[in-house]
This record gives sequence, C-alpha cells and structure tokens, in this order.
Amino acid sequence: MEAALWYVLTGTRGGTNRVRILNALDEQPRNANQLAESLELDYKTIRHHLDVLLENDILTKSGDDYGAIYLPTDRTRRHWETVERIIEKVE
Amino acid sequence: MSAWIIVAKVATALNVALLLGLGYIWGRNYLTFRSKHTLGLLVFALFLVLENGLVLYYYLIDPALSAWWHDESLVPMIVWQTQMAINVAQTVGLSFLLWITLD
Repeated sequence: MEAALWYVLTGTRGGTNRVRILNALDEQPRNANQLAESLELDYKTIRHHLDVLLENDILTKSGDDYGAIYLPTDRTRRHWETVERIIEKVE
Repeated sequence: MSAWIIVAKVATALNVALLLGLGYIWGRNYLTFRSKHTLGLLVFALFLVLENGLVLYYYLIDPALSAWWHDESLVPMIVWQTQMAINVAQTVGLSFLLWITLD
C-alpha cells in the first residue's frame, strides 16, 4: 500500500490537495460540502479527489451518497506514520 | 521518406513532450515534498528526456547519422520498423503515466 500512498499523494498533480483533504479528515470526519468549505476548494474538485482516494482504499465513506461522511481506512491508519510525514511537508 | 520513419520521429518528439509534462509535475511536487520518492520520479523523467532527446538529435540533426534516416536505401526496412515500435511503445507507456499523474 505504501507505494500507492506515495504516488497518489506526492506523485500526481492533485497530490497536495489530497494531502490537505486527508489531514482535514484526520482531525474530524466530514462530508464533501464541509470539506469544500473548510479547504476553500471547488465542490467538484473535492468530489474528484474523494473518488480517487476511495478508489485507492485510502478513504472510506459512511452514510448515503449525498451527505456521506469520509474518513481514513484502517489500512491508511496502519501507515499513518507515512501520511504524517507527507502532511508535514504540505503545511 | 517511409511512413515508419515519420511515425518513429513523431513518437520520439511526443515522448519528449510527455516527459516534460511529467517532469514539470514531479519537479513541482519535489519542491513541496522533498522526498526521495518524488526525487526518484524526477530523475526518471530527466534521464528519459535525455534518451529521447539524443534519439531525436540523431534522427534529425547529427550530420552523419541523420542522413540514414532521410534515405530509405541506407537502412533496411526492418530496422526502421523496429525503431518505430520501440519509440511508439514508449509513447503509449508515457501517455498512460501522464494520464494517471494528471488525475
């Protein structure tokens, strides 16, 4: 998983914003609207990043589609040291 | 000039363009993350740009070598076809990499 984590977060154009999303969700699970608001990003941009993070099993969601709350998966938690090292660089 | 060699040249030029795109994204990310992972990607792009630049140079500019690639009688067709396959395979691979990297 660690290689995918590195690539999705630091190898791609959208990596920096995905790191900010992950950091925000670590503080507190939120839905897409709340994320867009707190990170001052376009709702569609947030949705796109959330989909990429879901697809790579970095995030999981609970609840129905519209108001679904997003949070890091157990797998991501197990590699949280790596994530933290990446987050540090973005702040 | 044979179609094979035109395709080989165009593919090589495309490879350079794709790698500059990748190198730009990875270079910017390296400035942010300063990790060995982003550095590795950047070095990968850098050396593949050098490789493709060198190929383009001898296809188009080098006084001795570029003549081969303008005159069909100097190089057997099989060499052109193989060369084209190598260049195009790389274009396909790099396109896919750029596609996921822009995501």
